[in-house]
Amino acid sequence: MLCIDTISSDLMSKYRISADIGGTFTDIVVEPSDAPVFVGKVATTPENPAEGVINGIKELVPDLADVEFFVHGTTVGLNAFLERKGERVLLVLTAGLGDSYTIARGNRHSLYELRYQKPEQLVARRDIHEVRGRLCWDGEELEPLNLSDFEPIIKKVKAEGIKAIAVCFVHAYAYPQHELAAGKILEAKLPGVSVSLSYQVAREWREYERTSSSVMNAYVAPVVERYLSSLQQQLRDMDMQATVHIMQSSGGVSTADSARQNPVFTLLSGPVGGTIAGTALSAATSRPNLLCVDMGGTSFDLSLVIDGKANATLETELEGLPLLMSIVDIATIGTGGGSIAWMEQGAVRVGPRSAGSIPGPACYGRGGTEPTVTDANLFLGRLGAKSLLGGDMSLDTQAACAALKQLADEADMELVAFAEGILSISNAAMADAMRTITVSQGVDPREFTLVAFGGAGPMAAVFLAEELDIGEVLIPRFPGTFSAWGMLQTDLRQDFTHSFFRAADSVTVSQLNEVFVTLEQTGHDAILKEGITADRVSYVRSADMRYVGQEYTINVDIPSGDGIGCAVKNFHLAHATRYGHSSPQAPVEFVNLRVAAYGALDKFSHSMPQQAPDSEPQIGERSIIFGGTLHETPILSREQLPAGFKTVGPVIIEEQSATTVVPPDWIVQLQADGSVLLQRGGSS
Amino acid sequence: MSQIDPITTEIIRNAFISIANDMNATLIRSAFTPVIYEGKDCSVALIDANGDVLGQSLGLPLFLGNLEICVKLIAEQFGWDYFKDGDVFYMNDSYMTGTHLNDSTIIMPIFWKGQRIGFAASRAHWLDVGAKDPGTPVDSHEIYQEGVRWGPTRLYENGEPREDVIDLLRRNSRFGEATVGDMNAQVAAGKTGEKRLCALFDRFGLETIMAARDEIFQRTETLEREAVQALPDGIYKADGYLDDDGLQSEPLLVNLELTIKGDVMTIDLSGSAAQARGPVNCGMTQTIAAARVAYKLLICSEVSPNGGSFRPLEVTAPARTIFSAQEPAACGWYFSSLGLLIDLVIKALAPALPDKVAAAHYGDSMVITVAGEDPRHNDEFYLMIEPTTGGWGASNGRDGENSLINNVNGSFKDIPVEIFESKYPLRLLSYGIRKDSGGPGKYRGGNGTYREYEVLTDSDLSLWFERSKTTAWGLFDGSAGMPPSVKVEIPGEEAAEYLKANAVPVKCGTVIRCVTGGGGGYGLAFERDTRAVRQDAIDGYVSVDHARDAYGVSLTELLEVNVAETERLRSSSGRH
Repeated sequence: MLCIDTISSDLMSKYRISADIGGTFTDIVVEPSDAPVFVGKVATTPENPAEGVINGIKELVPDLADVEFFVHGTTVGLNAFLERKGERVLLVLTAGLGDSYTIARGNRHSLYELRYQKPEQLVARRDIHEVRGRLCWDGEELEPLNLSDFEPIIKKVKAEGIKAIAVCFVHAYAYPQHELAAGKILEAKLPGVSVSLSYQVAREWREYERTSSSVMNAYVAPVVERYLSSLQQQLRDMDMQATVHIMQSSGGVSTADSARQNPVFTLLSGPVGGTIAGTALSAATSRPNLLCVDMGGTSFDLSLVIDGKANATLETELEGLPLLMSIVDIATIGTGGGSIAWMEQGAVRVGPRSAGSIPGPACYGRGGTEPTVTDANLFLGRLGAKSLLGGDMSLDTQAACAALKQLADEADMELVAFAEGILSISNAAMADAMRTITVSQGVDPREFTLVAFGGAGPMAAVFLAEELDIGEVLIPRFPGTFSAWGMLQTDLRQDFTHSFFRAADSVTVSQLNEVFVTLEQTGHDAILKEGITADRVSYVRSADMRYVGQEYTINVDIPSGDGIGCAVKNFHLAHATRYGHSSPQAPVEFVNLRVAAYGALDKFSHSMPQQAPDSEPQIGERSIIFGGTLHETPILSREQLPAGFKTVGPVIIEEQSATTVVPPDWIVQLQADGSVLLQRGGSS
Repeated sequence: MSQIDPITTEIIRNAFISIANDMNATLIRSAFTPVIYEGKDCSVALIDANGDVLGQSLGLPLFLGNLEICVKLIAEQFGWDYFKDGDVFYMNDSYMTGTHLNDSTIIMPIFWKGQRIGFAASRAHWLDVGAKDPGTPVDSHEIYQEGVRWGPTRLYENGEPREDVIDLLRRNSRFGEATVGDMNAQVAAGKTGEKRLCALFDRFGLETIMAARDEIFQRTETLEREAVQALPDGIYKADGYLDDDGLQSEPLLVNLELTIKGDVMTIDLSGSAAQARGPVNCGMTQTIAAARVAYKLLICSEVSPNGGSFRPLEVTAPARTIFSAQEPAACGWYFSSLGLLIDLVIKALAPALPDKVAAAHYGDSMVITVAGEDPRHNDEFYLMIEPTTGGWGASNGRDGENSLINNVNGSFKDIPVEIFESKYPLRLLSYGIRKDSGGPGKYRGGNGTYREYEVLTDSDLSLWFERSKTTAWGLFDGSAGMPPSVKVEIPGEEAAEYLKANAVPVKCGTVIRCVTGGGGGYGLAFERDTRAVRQDAIDGYVSVDHARDAYGVSLTELLEVNVAETERLRSSSGRH
């Protein structure tokens, strides 16, 4: 155990616990029923991630029998994919069209490469098998499913010990009968083999994308299954009664048992917690629009909370492979504290190369010799040599200085100006990338409050805000474990889709309702299976809509009781926001109807107020360079800020997992919910 | 040149690129037609007061380094003072922009404190500009059949839209509202560029930005000159043929002579075919842009293009060739010759850059159009038009990619079977990777594609398939890929094969099998690793027969390498 922030020793407490397993650290947040939240960080145990989680919980909570709720975000599936250590998958496709997966729609992701190669896929062509049987677009059976075509497949699976099969037939998103029959045969003949049917994973048209989603599901299913079984067993052995919940990429949670069905939905659960935490912060601070920035050592994730809701999408890509699923929309920008500064032709560049965590920045003393953004922060005093991990990790200022000096000499620049310059380049580049992303979403960043978290976020936050002309920055409580905290703020969620190709003017409300009610019934049953009572179930209806003739759709909420006219009106509005224009006269059509079924979970609180401090907030003073000038800057301890605390920068606020840098003229205010609000002052 | 520190220069350099990216994001976000917002058939550039590029967003490659030429052409014709604050210009004249009339170029001068500081320019493909047939006719022989032709024309004056001019645009398109919508998207992109460039000037001032610009251009030019200088001096040649011009059956020669002398590269196209009657011509501006694409693929590929780019490159062609068309040449299918040109530049430079080049790819967009009345939708007119993927060339250490879209296309994706069959009265019988079609080599050319359609209602078929005469060549003793073919089986008629067609009637039940070529191989096929040949056979990219005949590898029934037989094959026959 590296550290524990605050421990409540009240034995009567009940606990809600979340764990976010990252590459290096596992973050744990504990929400007691009757005391303030506390957090812990332990080293991740990559060979068996369950071990790290259990060690962490054991040290934070005296008796696991007192745990009421446990949720975690797992990267087990994602890592299996990234390291290509998933299960070998055999893929079954429609005869005549068996290359649709390998062709992968024939497009190029980058247009200036003579030696372009398509994204590396998960199934080799030799493991793709065609089965006869063909449906028409309207469900008519042109050729019955040929059962004898399964014989060589079954033989191969047995002979070669294959453990996972994915099946995707053309038009199965609407007419799954052939897939259902295939599933029956395969499961009967091949017990113990995991079978992923495309219509169960992603009930949407576009066979390549649906196949890709099903293959991904099959690829990670056995790995996730093994991990979940082991974790559940170990927790049971330690008397934890609470059901294990898993964070989903959609922003909701599900029980481990339900996550087993479609493990692909858990693939991107880690970073999603930060955005969900953002929605809770949005409610607690009454700020509807947030730009959430999660900055670690190597990457920088950007997501949006708009009108209090996490901005979501229905499709994403992992290393070029498409996935159809409801997912919080997170853009990753390849820069962070580890971005390396270098020279080209007398010009200074920062990134895109990163020192990562190994060797890491020069100041980590792990063999890195090239100067990074973190080295510049350390050299300028914005980061203290002892400020990482509450002093458990000490940084080598001299190594940072040496690395910077070598490059500064090469650029023929004075060292201080050069170090500040590296930060200016890096901040401007990050802000540029953020601006382009918000522009393409139809959003003006100036109307947003910036929320910065992750280990490195609070250090760069104000500088990014200045670049983007944003006047307000929020640093949540425990910024280093904000994502894990977010997992405690959400509810059970299951998503259901039904394709529904109809012109809006040819549909009646009752036809629409009929589908929605069926989907809700399915959702109701699924959520009840998760151990929730019926009075806690609620639904959000939405439809994918578009102008007739368009290829792509916009997902529009359809509050129950609303007529078709409202749906169409909302679509025009959403189109205007997303694309900058709408055509109120043009005919509109439905493509998919969707229901997200929620099961409300008990929560103890939505905020993290601080305990009363027991000493003075100022713990030191450092000389720090801002705008080329040396400022004697007070160093404050976040834990010791009194309620209602207010001051003006320059100031540094240090805490366990992060350092907040406030340059001159920015006003600092501690909020009732425990977050720190930074506002641009007018004295410049 | 005034002194400027490298930090400020870098911030300004990143800002130029970022402004171009924002313009591009604005254009894509607000465009009306999917060919722009999904196909990304567009390009933007931020240009300085002299007409040199400050930043370009990497859009459709074929438009690389084209927009600044358009700005300079307007200035050449009317003088720099012709540009007034509040102007927005539209132009599509093929002989100025180089491309077909569907491509709309919109240029907005940017003023700051009363001074012209630059231009925001964009290009996007408009669906229809009033040609004789919908979209782009395949049998035009005069530009007047291809749409309405515009020289530089003000859409805005003093910041106000000229509604009469915009109305004229709307009236001359089959999809008038979408056309004006796309025009507005381009204007919005321009305004984004204007706003952000002015903000950058507010922050750094004219003098600093000009100093940074000079520094950035200078560095890019130096890097590129060093890269060209590193190539051995000499004359490099390559040639190839287009099958025909769509109207006559004579092949058309594309001939280039590329000279490296010191730090200058010259591409001379004077041996190429004269201006054709069919629509395969393009204007010089687009020829230069295509040459720049080829150059960029080989020289300093990682450096973002700016006004210092392409300075070592000169492109020349005499007047009235297919690359330097003049009135009244038809330009509708202007890109076929350019795709070939790009591959030929790479071929010519192969001896100088053996590790960077690739063998030729399958060559062209291979477009099929089926149109008619859809009985499922009240006999409404339907128009199915799609390009087809094919094989790419192999390179040193890497096999060519299978079934990939051609080099002059943007972010095109094939139409999924499920969407295709729901949308059109056509069925896809088969779609797959064409075995054995990639050119054999130590590294194998990518395989082409087959796509087989059944027509479910009486319709008309048009085709634009190319490159059957000059198929994708190999490099360094690698072999060529297979040519394309299209087979049409109309019920009750004998099957016919042809590559180009204009509105041929096809009855319900007709089967059309489109097959595209493979890419060229790299290096001697007999030197290919026998394990790689075996893997190809297991994955079905290469047949057992082809493995033996082309690669000299004998495979058993269980696809194991027969070592003795392979040695015999590889030592006795086949080796040149």
